[in-house]
Amino acid sequence: MDKVMVELKNVSLNYHTVNGETEAIKNVSFNVHEGEFVGVIGPSGCGKSTLLSIIAGLLKPSGGSVKVNGEVGYMLQRDHLFEWRNIMQNVLLGLEIQNAVNDDSIRHVEGLLDRYGLAEFKYHYPNQISGGMRQRAALIRTLALNPDIMLLDEAFSALDYQTRLAISDEVWSILKNVKKTAIIVTHDISEAIAMCDRIVVLSNRPAVVKSIHEIHLTCDTPSPIGCRKAPEFREYFNEIWKELDVHV
Amino acid sequence: MYDTTSNMSKEHMEFLKKVKRKEIAIRTTQVIILIAFFALWEIAGRLKLIDPFLFSQPSRMLKTIINLSKDGSLFTHIWVTLSETLIGFALGTIIGIAIAIMLWWSSFASKVAEPYLIVLNSLPKIALGPIFIVWMGNGEAPIITMGLAISLIVTIISLETGFMQVDEDKIKLLKTFGATKYQILTKCILPASIPTIMSAIKINMGLSWVGVITGEFLVSKAGLGYLIVYGGQIFKLDIVMSSVLILSVLAALMYVLLVYIEKKIIKWQ
Repeated sequence: MDKVMVELKNVSLNYHTVNGETEAIKNVSFNVHEGEFVGVIGPSGCGKSTLLSIIAGLLKPSGGSVKVNGEVGYMLQRDHLFEWRNIMQNVLLGLEIQNAVNDDSIRHVEGLLDRYGLAEFKYHYPNQISGGMRQRAALIRTLALNPDIMLLDEAFSALDYQTRLAISDEVWSILKNVKKTAIIVTHDISEAIAMCDRIVVLSNRPAVVKSIHEIHLTCDTPSPIGCRKAPEFREYFNEIWKELDVHV
Repeated sequence: MYDTTSNMSKEHMEFLKKVKRKEIAIRTTQVIILIAFFALWEIAGRLKLIDPFLFSQPSRMLKTIINLSKDGSLFTHIWVTLSETLIGFALGTIIGIAIAIMLWWSSFASKVAEPYLIVLNSLPKIALGPIFIVWMGNGEAPIITMGLAISLIVTIISLETGFMQVDEDKIKLLKTFGATKYQILTKCILPASIPTIMSAIKINMGLSWVGVITGEFLVSKAGLGYLIVYGGQIFKLDIVMSSVLILSVLAALMYVLLVYIEKKIIKWQ
C-alpha cells in the first residue's frame, strides 16, 4: 500500500455561537494515500469545506485526530488573485509570506509560468487576463510552495461551465503529472467521478461518512473529459445521486 | 488592448468622433455657464439691478484682490488658511488610519470604542470650539484642532468599515500560507483598502476646510476665514466675496490634486 498522506480518525467539529452549538462534522474517518485523488461530495452546507479547513490546520477539530504527512496547498472557490498585484507578484505571494523568495524559488515559479502559458502575462494585472488564466495563476501560486497535498475547495465553481470543464481537465493533468495527492471538495457529482480515484460521500449536517466509492473508469484517454464517456460513468453517477438523497 | 490607430472601421471612427464631440460640448457648456454667471453678475451690478454694496461685483472683487495682493497681506491670509488646513488634514488622515488599524487589530478595542465613536460622530464638533480656545489660546492650535476634530471620527469609522469589508477568503488564503496578523494587514488589508483610504482622504480634505474656516470664524488674526468674518463685520462684501472665491478655487485645486494622486496610486484599475 502507498504511503498514507492524510489520516482522519473520528474527526468531529462543533460550531459555537451565542444561540447554541451546532454539530458540523461527526466521526469522519478516511485515509488518503500518496498520489491519490479523493473527492469529497455531499449536500451543500454539510461541512465539506470545514473538513478541508481542518486538514489545512485552519480549524481545530473538537474531537478525533488528524494526521497530515507533508505540506498542504489550498485552492479556494475563486482565484482570489490580488488585483493590486501583477501576476508575477501574485504567484509569489505564498513564498513572500514564508520569506522564501530567492533565486531558486523565482526560477521555479518562472518555470511554472512558462509551462502553463502565463510567461508573457507576468506583468499583467489580474483584470487584464481571462478567467481560465486567472485560475491557472492561482494554481501556480499554490504550486510555488511545492505542496505534497492539494486541497481543492470547489476550486472551479466560479467558472462558467465550458471553462470549468477545460480547467478541471488541465488542473487534473498538471497535478497528476507532478504526482501530487489531492482532496477535491465539490458538489458536482460528474466532476468528482471524472477527476477522482475515490469518492467520499458525506451526509447532511452533522456530516458523517455515508459511503466511499472506488472509481474505476475504462477510458482510452485518461483525463477527466475523456473519462466522462466511460460506460461506468452513469452507474457511479446514479449510485451517488441516490445516496445524496436530494429533496427540493 | 485593441489597436485603435490603424485598421479602424469607419463606423468606429464615427463613434469616437461622437464621443469626442460630446466631451467638447460638455466642457464648453461648463465654461459658458461660468463666464455667463460672472458676466450677468457684473452687468446686473452696473445696471443697479442688484446693489453692489450688498452683492459685490466681479470687477470690484478683482480690484479687492489686487489691492490685497499689493501689500502681500492676501498671500499671508491664504498661506495661513492653507497651512492650517493641510496640517489638520494630514493629522486627521494619519491619526485616523492609525486608530482604524488598531480597531481592526483588536476586536475588543473595536467593541469598546463603538459607542464612543457613535456619540463623537453625531456631536457637532463646532460645539467644542470654545473649549479648544480656552485650552490652547487664540493662535493656530485651536483652529488646526478644529479641522482635526471634524475629520478624525469620520475617517476612523469609514476606514474601519472598509478594513472589515475586505474579502474573508482573501484572508483565508493568506492564512493557508501561514501568514501572521501583521502580514495579513500589510499584504492584504491595507492594499485592498487603498480605494477606501483614498475616498476617505478626499472627504477628509473637504472636512478640514470646513473645520479650519469654522475655527477661524471663532478665533483668528489671519486667514481667509478671518477675512470673511472681518469683511462681514465692516460691511465690505467685496472682501467677503473675494475670499469665498479664492477659497473655492483653492479647495477645487486641492481636490484635483488628490484625484491625480489617486490615479497614480491605483494603477491596476
